[in-house]
Amino acid sequence: MLDHDTLTRLLERALRYGGDYADVFCERRRMYGFRLQDGHIHDGATSVTQGVGIRVVTGESAGYAYSDDLSLDALLRAAEAASLIARNAPARAFGSIDLRREDVPPLYDQSRADHAPAARYVDLLERADRTARGYDSRIVAVNANVSDELQDVWIATSDGRFVHDHRPMVTLGVHAVASARGERGSGYAGDGGRTSISYFDDHRPEALAADAARIAATNLDAEAAPAGEMEIVVGSGGGGVLLHEAVGHGLESDFNRRGTSLYSGRVGERVASELVTIYDDGNLPEERGSITVDDEGVPGQHKVLVERGVLRGYMQDSLNARLMGVAPTGSGRRQSYRFLPQPRMCNTYMPAGESTPEEIIASTTRGLYAKSFAGGQVEISKGDFVFMVAEGYLIENGKVTAPVKNATIVGNGPDAMTKVVAVGNDARLARRHYTCGKGGQNVPVGVGMPTVKIASITVGGTADDQQ
Amino acid sequence: MINNDAIEIAARAVDLALELGARSAEASFSVTQRFHVEARDTTVSKLERSTGSGVHLRLWHDGHRSSVVSTDLQPEALRSAIVRGLDQLQYVAQDPYAGLPDESGAYHGDLALVDPSITVRDDADKVADALALERAVRAADPRIVNSSGSHYSDASSSIALANSNGFRGMYSTTSASRSTVPLAQEDGAKRTAHYGTAGRFLRDLEGNAHVAAVAAQRAVEMFGARKPPTMRAAVIFERDVAAALLSDIFAAVAASNVAVGNSWLADRIGERVGSKLVTIVDDGALSGRLGSAPFDGEGVATRRTQVFEAGVLRSFLYDTYYARKLGARTTGNSTGGGIGANNFYLEPGSGSLAELIAATSRGVLVLDTIGFATEHATGTYSRGARGFMIENGELAYPIDEFTVAGNFPDVLAAVDAVASDLRFDGSTVSPSFRVAEMTISGN
Repeated sequence: MLDHDTLTRLLERALRYGGDYADVFCERRRMYGFRLQDGHIHDGATSVTQGVGIRVVTGESAGYAYSDDLSLDALLRAAEAASLIARNAPARAFGSIDLRREDVPPLYDQSRADHAPAARYVDLLERADRTARGYDSRIVAVNANVSDELQDVWIATSDGRFVHDHRPMVTLGVHAVASARGERGSGYAGDGGRTSISYFDDHRPEALAADAARIAATNLDAEAAPAGEMEIVVGSGGGGVLLHEAVGHGLESDFNRRGTSLYSGRVGERVASELVTIYDDGNLPEERGSITVDDEGVPGQHKVLVERGVLRGYMQDSLNARLMGVAPTGSGRRQSYRFLPQPRMCNTYMPAGESTPEEIIASTTRGLYAKSFAGGQVEISKGDFVFMVAEGYLIENGKVTAPVKNATIVGNGPDAMTKVVAVGNDARLARRHYTCGKGGQNVPVGVGMPTVKIASITVGGTADDQQ
Repeated sequence: MINNDAIEIAARAVDLALELGARSAEASFSVTQRFHVEARDTTVSKLERSTGSGVHLRLWHDGHRSSVVSTDLQPEALRSAIVRGLDQLQYVAQDPYAGLPDESGAYHGDLALVDPSITVRDDADKVADALALERAVRAADPRIVNSSGSHYSDASSSIALANSNGFRGMYSTTSASRSTVPLAQEDGAKRTAHYGTAGRFLRDLEGNAHVAAVAAQRAVEMFGARKPPTMRAAVIFERDVAAALLSDIFAAVAASNVAVGNSWLADRIGERVGSKLVTIVDDGALSGRLGSAPFDGEGVATRRTQVFEAGVLRSFLYDTYYARKLGARTTGNSTGGGIGANNFYLEPGSGSLAELIAATSRGVLVLDTIGFATEHATGTYSRGARGFMIENGELAYPIDEFTVAGNFPDVLAAVDAVASDLRFDGSTVSPSFRVAEMTISGN
């Protein structure tokens, strides 16, 4: 997007008052998509967003400015605005910059220059709509969307690194509402990843739509969730949201360098049951959270976060890694050129354990089977989290029984992880539709998990038969 | 950017779309200057200053529609994006309700949306402001030993809109905010809290000393918190948490959700849904507020809409498209593609939050919630929460790691007290209020 000389000039201007480090993040993102509503293609959308973000780091301070005007004058003004941090904080003089192009082996197809013909996207939506409506006569509304995005980033750093990444992302989502007797239930299913629309040749929209409709119909028939403490069995795949919230965020290096996470300074300590191992991996094929290089130009990596219950390490961006005296882990990510990078998760998952899912269910006297989560949130300093259950059932005397709707689970990260009493042999990654929000920035992520049982956790429903 | 330029850019984009074959078109162009400083301990940890702009087009042709967004304003780039959007139109179903609004125009009157003292404020003052807030919050209590930063930010925007029916409009706004996130430590346990203030005018912001004191208090008061018993009890939602509930109510009255079956309020216009204390208004024409603007995202004049009147559902909130689809009139809530709140708020009652607590024999005060998934189709609400147990009109002890849950129809019907502490620090706001009974899940 910008040539070698311009990038060098911007880095030099950014460091005119000195600093430890500077980078220029150039981004062009093209999105193409359609939405379906009421059985018809409702609208189409096209967007082209591009811009440049310039950062100067000195000590623990960062100056940042972006511009979506790519004229040299505007970019130099942005570099000057970013440079001002070094007037507000002590900074060392910076020497000369020698940019060298680095080629990192790409994780995903680099050849696709454009979206597919419109008819292919429309066909996916129409097939999803037909399947969802045909699934159950009580399905009264179906909304679906498809998008195809190509994000190009070019990152030049004052260390001399210059890298490019070409990141595809397709997404198909189906939301169904079931209604009868004045009651309603809703269900969602989404899939896609860093691939092309051809992904849906094998991962058919009919299967996705049937799942959304099935969850909607199940929730229509569901009872109110119970309230109070009980055993919980978390389903494989989408249950990985549990790891993302209960542990993952607390291991991001910004919180730990600043000492605001409950996991600060605890590498090497036991933080979970010894059945618990957690990885974060930026290199899994096609996953939403995978990155050839992160948004600071560092290659994606496989990281061991927790191994047999012991905390092994944090996820590092470059600023916090430098201040903590360790190497970055390819975890520096940002929503777009309008944001400073933050340490973030990529694809967070737990490998398989030894129990069968059937044994885990059979060992549960009274509890909740949380088959999948609609999302979650965590408070970093104490570790309290919540999860919203998308599809849940009661477990009574070792058997999965009635569906329950709108359960929320509330707990504390280290407490819940210590109470993990069984890990299934059915580890898998969830369908690809998760997006993580932090500090006002959204990035795509992946999660995965085997079936896991937690001995006791608080379920926040409204059913009257409390214990 | 001078104002005429912004209108000119929008108008040229409309002309280009027509020239390329659109039957009708609308373009908005906005340019925003943003400033943000984060102070942590004694250093400036982040300093951000940027200008962002972009054009957003909506295109129509015989009842087919598409949208185009571009930050690249070069004529050839805009041209190729519009060509792509026009190609997409052919695949979109014909829809008799799609098209430009029948009415357009700006609210006539001075909405007082610009504070000149923000646009001329010196960077050094802003930096000093954030550093002062950080000092104040660390000095507020010996247990405040750390922080996630103290912030000052502001923005100045110009928004221009043009359409092929001849509408041309432009307005400017400013906003500023300050907030702080202290961390308190006691016996190895950590607690954070957040408090902030925002407005269109610098003089609307609560002072650093007050912001620091509230944030510090909220961090240290949670030490020793325990889980409450699982029970049904009265729940008081403090105003910032109450505002988040108002966002859920907004989602249920947004016509875009009502039209697709994703609202528990569908088909209930004219019904008594809430208690007589539930009067909810959307007003885009309030002077000097963050949700105010002379016209909405499609050039329709903003106005006051009574959404709930003493518990009775009076109106949904519409843009032109969903108004036509549901046989109503637009209420000026278009965001230019969706439906958004202007100033959406619960009418305040009388008495302070302290008086509300004193009048509650047994219940729970909710000061913060986490989680976000409300089922708008069913109106089911459930959140993780922290706050205080109330016994005999007093805050008995701090509580956390519990959920508060209920169904919106029941919750609104059970609102039995509303305080007077409404503040307009966002576009969806609320005073503190009490619900007679909800489900608390703890031990």
